[in-house]
Amino acid sequence: MAVVLFVGRVRPRVALVANARPAGRGAPTPDRITREITHVFLQKKLLQKLGPGLMHAFIFWGFIVLLPTIAEAAVAIVDKDSSLPILGDASWFAFVSDVFATLVVVGVAMAFFIRKVLKPDRFRGSHMEEADRILLLILAIVVTFLLWNASRIGFGIAEVPDARPVAHLLSNLFSSGEGTEFAERVLVWAHLLVILGFLVFLPGSKHLHIATAPANVWLAKDGPTGRLEPNRIDLELPEEDIRFGVATQKDLSRKQMLDLFSCTECGRCQEVCPAWATGKPLSPKLLIMDLRDRVVAEAAGEVELQPLVPNAVTDQVVWDCVTCGACVRECPVDIEHVDTIVDLRRNLVMAESRFPQEAAPMLRGVESQENPWGQPASARLDWAKDLDVRVLKEGDPAPEVLFWVGCAGAFDERAQKTTQSVARLLAAAGIDSAVLGPREKCTGDPARRMGHEYLFQMLAEQNVETLNGAGVTKIVASCAHCFNTLANEYPDYGGTYEVVHHTQLLSELIAAGRLQPRTGDGKITYHDACYLGRHNGEFDAPREVIGGEIEEMPRNRERSFCCGAGGARMWMEEESPRINDTRFEEAAATGAETVATACPYCLVMLDDAAKGKSSDIRVADVATLLAESTAIDPR
Amino acid sequence: MKVWVWADVTPDGPAPSALELLTKARDLGDEVAAVALGPGAKASTDALGEHGAQTVYASDDEVFTKHLAQPAVHALAGLVEEHQPDLILFPASYDARDVAGRLQARTGSTLMANATDVLSPDKARTEILGGTKIVDVELKGPAPKLVLIRPQSFAAEPSGGTAEVVEVKADAPDDLKKAERLERHEEEASGPRLEDAKVVVAGGRGLGGPDAFEQLEKLAAAIGNAAVGASRAAVDAGWVPYSFQIGQTGKTVKPEVYICAGISGALQHMVGMKGAKRIVAITKDPDAPILKIADLGVVGDLFKVVPALTEEIEKRRAGS
Repeated sequence: MAVVLFVGRVRPRVALVANARPAGRGAPTPDRITREITHVFLQKKLLQKLGPGLMHAFIFWGFIVLLPTIAEAAVAIVDKDSSLPILGDASWFAFVSDVFATLVVVGVAMAFFIRKVLKPDRFRGSHMEEADRILLLILAIVVTFLLWNASRIGFGIAEVPDARPVAHLLSNLFSSGEGTEFAERVLVWAHLLVILGFLVFLPGSKHLHIATAPANVWLAKDGPTGRLEPNRIDLELPEEDIRFGVATQKDLSRKQMLDLFSCTECGRCQEVCPAWATGKPLSPKLLIMDLRDRVVAEAAGEVELQPLVPNAVTDQVVWDCVTCGACVRECPVDIEHVDTIVDLRRNLVMAESRFPQEAAPMLRGVESQENPWGQPASARLDWAKDLDVRVLKEGDPAPEVLFWVGCAGAFDERAQKTTQSVARLLAAAGIDSAVLGPREKCTGDPARRMGHEYLFQMLAEQNVETLNGAGVTKIVASCAHCFNTLANEYPDYGGTYEVVHHTQLLSELIAAGRLQPRTGDGKITYHDACYLGRHNGEFDAPREVIGGEIEEMPRNRERSFCCGAGGARMWMEEESPRINDTRFEEAAATGAETVATACPYCLVMLDDAAKGKSSDIRVADVATLLAESTAIDPR
Repeated sequence: MKVWVWADVTPDGPAPSALELLTKARDLGDEVAAVALGPGAKASTDALGEHGAQTVYASDDEVFTKHLAQPAVHALAGLVEEHQPDLILFPASYDARDVAGRLQARTGSTLMANATDVLSPDKARTEILGGTKIVDVELKGPAPKLVLIRPQSFAAEPSGGTAEVVEVKADAPDDLKKAERLERHEEEASGPRLEDAKVVVAGGRGLGGPDAFEQLEKLAAAIGNAAVGASRAAVDAGWVPYSFQIGQTGKTVKPEVYICAGISGALQHMVGMKGAKRIVAITKDPDAPILKIADLGVVGDLFKVVPALTEEIEKRRAGS
């Protein structure tokens, strides 16, 4: 009957996922298989936090190991002297299940310690009572299991009594008389009833993650997390057939729906979110929970089907996101919060025209002048006027490497310094490179992160046409966002090139002896750019270019704290305390005199923060630091 | 065609939006009327009449400003039922939006917001997709069609004429007077608005503090009809409010003359003022990017240059 109830309660959830739009993923690639093994069975992401990770691992591994013991108990209920074939008499299994059951007890104790004594802030907003109930049920399952075995040992009907150390210890509680015989029956029934009760409780609780999480991990994106999946806008189709992002739950994909039912409210995402850390209402955890609660209430007919923004989450929460991916990196069940947020933005921008109005000039500039600042294309070579830079005209033979300057690198006076340094370094190393100059258009990254997928699509198609037409095969980009888009997103639009970030190329050139390494004293710290580091796994190359000792910030590499400009937030107003100010304080606290960056957004954001605090700390790109140190740049 | 305009009025007279909407209303219908409720309504009827209102339904009763929307909607709904207008234009002020929305709930007719133009009594125009596409919108459904118009969509042009004033009774029942406006705070805006001013005087990080903005205010006053703005640095530092901010995430200005002091000219600021016809920059940094786009660059101490400039202007104005 419990099974019937379970099926009845879980079916609506299954239906929600099954009826959602297919995610177009799921093919068993080597990456996917490896990830399933490491994230699920080896608990890799959980162990990113060692204490809580072990706590969960004990419970999880215990659960896996103890699964056959459910059958053991069922068999013993029918006939107390019967046991499972093979496993029932195996001492190794008895030993293992005894040890793992005890580990589960340890795990539960650790969980309570974390929740009740340490009380980390990441649980703010989570349903603590539900979690307590789940933990107690788990405890009840393993305790009844251990006591049941103990009573069997006590009464003398245990199959392999010496193989269970802990149960053996507990068997001292049980005499060998009739009381124990009765207790044994009570315990085996209690054990099974708790399990069945749990089964019924499961679908309505966050413990459903035991079923959804393995599927969610399986469906997670292959490849770098910086890539957003296309939402193609084909205006030739009738309007009803075009999807403009996500408006209501009907627009969610299976993966997005599964995300909502995999969340265990652990709050690891909340803990690392730069918006939340600076007092904004966005918490990735709360976003997922709010979406989940709304979807469930709508599906149950408690409320009407309505747009998710603002009925499940507010507009502000959707716009607060910097798309840094720290949440996705931390999530033990591979929820992809950023993808859902961008999908919500797509609908707000394209269908509702409802977005922070201060970003409108950026969108207009990208559309009309193909750059976010609305500058004339002819000005794209201003940075090169005193340099000998080859400009690739139509019909020219393709260079070995195309130097993609990017809009910031072309128009922003601070980023122009980086562009000049990179150009000089490439020349010094004898690299055959060229720039597109006025033919370069914005990669479309700011428009895409904003949710204006259509504008991005147009630019991607145009840029791909230019690049393919020019026969470009290799590109070096000096902006982490351009790098990410060109490398990971343009292939969806017919543009496949070997794309490297300038720090990667410079690092290679130094290693190959074509460029002198950097020397110099003075303390330096390095700020990992989200779109180079976390989203694309490149942490070493910039450090190699800096060379020497780096005063690392507490939050570095995969745990780097965003500069605050991503997600098109460079073009939006932010309330105090600001993300860039917060990050700059962290950098300053290392005692460094220079903050090295690898992306023009980071450069501008951290430099603004420095100026705002009237700090003497210099913020500069690693390329500029290298070029100055080797006298390639005039100091 | 009966076209009405919801006129925002204050004791200082009608809001510019009322006159702009009336100018447009004249093109759309042959019977044009305005509804003006609140203190200052009767005093505004002359101006409203001059801009095309043949009739002004007016009341000076302060119940319309003391309580939010509901008494006004009650009166307006009554007028609508009695006179059956075909189209009502609303400005984009907070109060007008409140009234329009509530009226729509009562009449069940169509309400379109954010219109940039009204092409006919049943067609309006707006922008979508981030302001990059213009679309025409058919207004279906029964009369009166209700349209909320974006600020400064039309120019106000008087047509001469006087309006007949019809007194509106302020007889809203008590249950509509539950929300009371306790306090009204308007941010001090002396002089022309930043976006409209022909001359803008802006200050940045180089000013070093809020006091220096007084120097800029004096300069703006000496020039006359000039507005004071700021770069983001000054706003972030708390020296001036956000309404002063010119730049990427602030206001875009296109004055005849843009005078800035202590502003380096980072790209993020430049995009907000590069449309200015003439740019004068005062900075102590000879490498400041602003000097690349300035028509006249003065490298010097702004604390000396600005007062000297002010004094010279005052002298010449007094002399002429």
